[in-house]
Amino acid sequence: MTFYTGIFYVLAFITAIATFMAITRRHALHAIVYLIISFFGTALLFYLLGAPFLALLEVIIYAGAIMVLFLFIIMMIQIRPSVQTWAAALKQWLPVILLGGIAFSLAVAMVFADPATPIPLKPAVAGPREFGHFLFEQYWFPVEIASFLLLIALVGALYLGRREGKSPANQTEKAP
Amino acid sequence: MMVPFSHVLLLAVILFALGAACAIARRNLIMILIGVEIMLNAAGLAFVGASLRWQHLDGQAFVIFILAVAASEVAVGLALIVYLQRRTGSVDANRYNLLKG
Amino acid sequence: MKTVLFLLVFLPFLGALSLAVIGRHLPRRVGEMIACLAVLGSFVMAIIAFVSAGQKSQTVTLLPWFGVGDFSAVMSVYYDPLAAVMALMVTFVSSLIHLYSVSFMREDEDYVRFFCYMNLFVFAMLVVALSDNLLFLYLGWEGVGFCSYALIGFWYSDEVKATAGRKAFVLTRIGDVAFGIAIAFFFLIYNTLSLSSINEQAASLSAGMATALGMLLLWAAVGKSAQLPLAVWLPDAMAGPTPVSALIHAATMVTAGVYLLMRFFPLISLSSTTLLTIATVGAVTAFFAACSALSQKDIKRILAYSTISQVSYMFLGVGAGDLIGGMFHLLSHAFFKALLFLAAGCVIQALNEEHDIFRMGSLRSRFPVVFWLFLAGALALGAIPPFGGFFSKDRILLATFIHPDPAYKILWVLAAVTALLTPLYTFRLFFIGFLERPSATRESSQDKQGLRPVPKLMVWTLWPLAILSLIAGLLNLSSILSGNEWLARYLSPVPGTVPSLAASPALEGRMEMGTGLLSIVMLALSYYLYRPQKFLVTPTPGALPQNLEQLLFFGFYLDRFYQIAVVRPYQKIARFLWVRVDEGGLNEGFDRTGKLFPVFSIGLQLWTTGRLSTYLKMLLLGFTVILCALALGWYPW
Repeated sequence: MTFYTGIFYVLAFITAIATFMAITRRHALHAIVYLIISFFGTALLFYLLGAPFLALLEVIIYAGAIMVLFLFIIMMIQIRPSVQTWAAALKQWLPVILLGGIAFSLAVAMVFADPATPIPLKPAVAGPREFGHFLFEQYWFPVEIASFLLLIALVGALYLGRREGKSPANQTEKAP
Repeated sequence: MMVPFSHVLLLAVILFALGAACAIARRNLIMILIGVEIMLNAAGLAFVGASLRWQHLDGQAFVIFILAVAASEVAVGLALIVYLQRRTGSVDANRYNLLKG
Repeated sequence: MKTVLFLLVFLPFLGALSLAVIGRHLPRRVGEMIACLAVLGSFVMAIIAFVSAGQKSQTVTLLPWFGVGDFSAVMSVYYDPLAAVMALMVTFVSSLIHLYSVSFMREDEDYVRFFCYMNLFVFAMLVVALSDNLLFLYLGWEGVGFCSYALIGFWYSDEVKATAGRKAFVLTRIGDVAFGIAIAFFFLIYNTLSLSSINEQAASLSAGMATALGMLLLWAAVGKSAQLPLAVWLPDAMAGPTPVSALIHAATMVTAGVYLLMRFFPLISLSSTTLLTIATVGAVTAFFAACSALSQKDIKRILAYSTISQVSYMFLGVGAGDLIGGMFHLLSHAFFKALLFLAAGCVIQALNEEHDIFRMGSLRSRFPVVFWLFLAGALALGAIPPFGGFFSKDRILLATFIHPDPAYKILWVLAAVTALLTPLYTFRLFFIGFLERPSATRESSQDKQGLRPVPKLMVWTLWPLAILSLIAGLLNLSSILSGNEWLARYLSPVPGTVPSLAASPALEGRMEMGTGLLSIVMLALSYYLYRPQKFLVTPTPGALPQNLEQLLFFGFYLDRFYQIAVVRPYQKIARFLWVRVDEGGLNEGFDRTGKLFPVFSIGLQLWTTGRLSTYLKMLLLGFTVILCALALGWYPW
C-alpha cells in the first residue's frame, strides 16, 4: 500500500460521494456544484493514472466549460427546485434502485470474475508531447471528425437558440 | 504498486450506475442531461484505467473524443431544453407525452 | 336354397329401406302395402325353405361382409330345424301384426316411420333367428334392441313414452355387453365366429370356460328377455303402440334371449352350473312376475308381466335340459300372447284409449267377437286343458320334475305355484275387464264420448291366432294321448334335444291330470274372487290385503330400487360432470383463458405512456437484460 494507492482510494471516495450528492439534490444548481467537485476528483484521478494532459482537459473543458454552460442555462430558464413528498420520491426512485442494483451487481460480478482484472497497474505517465504525437499520428482522422462534429453542434445550438420576431422576414414565419 | 485494475473498473461502474440512476429517475430534463454527463465521465475513467493497464495510449486518445462528443452533445441538448422551456414553459419530462399510444 | 334364404332375410330389410328413402312420397296405401308385402314375402319364403330343407341342417353364406387378416365376418345363415321353426313363427306373426297395424295406425300421420321400423325389426329378428356368423347375429341382436327402442318411444313427444324407450334400450344394452364379451371369447378360443362350428367343437372346452361363457350368454339373454334382475323395462315398454307390444314384447324380441340359449345349447349344456342358473332365473322370475301381475290395473301391464312369467318358463325348460319343451312353449306363447295383445289393442282403441281394466267391462254385449277371441287367448294362457298353453307348460313342468338334480325339485315347486297363479291373474283380467257389469255402474266416460267401432281388419287378423292358440297342443301332442309328437321328432336332429322325456307314462299322465284339474280350480277361484258383483261392491278392488297389493303393484319395488340405487346416483354424477366439469371446468377454463388475452393486452397498454421517464426506465431495463445475457454467456461460471 503505497502513497499513490492511498491517494487513489481517497480520491475515489470523494468522487463517488460528490456524485451521489449531485444526483440527489433537489435544486439543479446545487447538483451542478457537487458535480464540479466530482469532476475535479476525476481529473485528479486521471493525473494519478498517468494522463496529465487529460486531467487538464477535464478541468478546462468538462468542469470549466460544460458545467458553466449548465449553470448559465439553469439560471436563465429559472427552474424552481422540485417539491416532492417522501412517498412520491420513493415511487420515483424505486424501479431505478431495483434495476440499477441488478445491473450494478452483474457488472461487479463480471469485473471480479475475470481473472485478468485483479492485476495491479504499473505506474506510468504519458506526457503531453508523447500524447500529442500519438494522437495526431494514429488518430488524426477522428480528430478532424471531432472538430467537424463540434462545428455542427455549434451551428445546431445557434439555430435552436435563436429568438423569433425581431426582423420583418421572421414575423410571418410560423414557429418551427 | 498501484491499485488493481479491477478497483478502477469498480469505481467506473459505481459512477456509471450513479449517472444512470440520475438520468432515469429524475424528472427534470436538466438533471437527465447531468446524468448523461456523469455516465460519459465514468466511461472516460474506465478508458484511462484500461490504457494504463495495457500501457497503450489508445485509451487516452479515446477519452479526447469522448470529451468532444460530450461537449457538443451538451451544447445541442441545452439549446433544445431552452427551446422547450420557451415553447411549453416547463422542463418536466412527464409533461411531454404526445407519443402516448 | 340360397336365394330363398336370402329373400327370407332381406325382403323386410328392402322394405324398410324403400320406406325410409321414398316412403314419404308414396301414397299411404302403397307404403303400407310395401311393408306388408315385404313381410308376407318373407313368410312365403320361410314356408318354401321349410318344405324344401326337410330336416337337414345347412350353412349358407348370403353376403360377404368384411374381413381383417384372420378375422372375417360374413353374413351367413345356419338353417337347421330349430331355425326353420323360429323363422316360420316370426314371419307368420309379423305378417298378421303388420296387417293389424295398417288398421290400428290408420289415424296416425307418422305411419312411414312406424312401418319402416317394423320392417327393420323383422329383418333384425330374422337375422337373430337364422344367423350363423356371430357378428351378424350381434348385428341382428343390436338391431332388435334399437328397433324396440324406436318403436316403444314412437310417440316421442310424450316424455314418459320416450323415457320408457330409453329405459328399455339401456337395460337390454347392459345384457348386450356380456354378449359382446362372449363373442370376443369365442373368437379367442376357436378362432372362428361361426355358430355351427363352435357348437361342433363345443365338447373341447374346459368346464370352467364353458360355465363362464354360459353365464355371459345367460346375462345377454336375461337383458333381452326381461328376466330378473333386468326385468323392469318390459312393463314400462307398454308405452308403445299395441302392435309393437304384440310383436316385440310378446312373440319375438323377448324370446330372442331364450332362443340364443337354445342355439348355443351344445355349449351351455356342458356345464350343469349354467343350466341350474338358467333354470333358477327362470323359476324365480316366473314367480315374481306372476305375483306382480296379480295386482296390476293396466291391461297391457298385466299382459307384460304375464310375458315375463311365460318367457321364464322357457328359460326353465332350457335349464332343465328340455330344448323341445322350451321351443314348444315359445311357439304356443307367441300365438296366444300376440292374440291377447292385439285383442287388447282392439278394446283399448274402441274405448278411447282406456287402459284401466276397472273402467272397462260389459264387452260381450258391445264387442262380442273380440270378447270370444280374447277368451280363447286367456284359456290358452291360463293353461286350461285341452287348449294350447296347457301341453307346453306341462311338458316343461315334467322336465323340471324328473331332473336328477334335487335342486330342481325346489324349482319345480316354484314353477308349479306360478302355474297356479297364472290362471288366477289371467282370469282376473278377463272377469274384471270383460264381463258384463250392472248397467248402473257402467263408466260414464265410455258412454259420453261414445264407443268407436272396431275395424274389421283388426278383428280378422285375430282369427288365425285364436285358432292356433287353441290347437297349439297338437304340435307336440304326447304319445300317451295318441299324438304323434310332431315337433319333438322334427327338432330331433338339433344337437342336445331330448325328443321324449325319460318319464314313465304313468307319471306323465298323473302330472297332466293334476295340473289340468288345478288350473280349472284356479279358474273357478278367480271367478269367485273377481266377479263383477263382488268387486264393485267392496271398496278395495282386490282380494288381497292392502300392503301386499301395493307391494305387488310396484313389482316388489324392484323398479324403485333401481331408480334409487342406480339411476339417481348416475344422474347426479352426470349432472355434476356436466355442470361442474364440462360447463364449469372445461368451458369456463377455455373462456377464461381466452379472456386472459384482453387482460394481458390491457396490461401492456399501460406501458405506452408516451412519457420520457417511462422510456428511460425501459432503456435501463433493456440494458440490464443485455448485461445479464452477457454475464451468463461470456464467462465460464
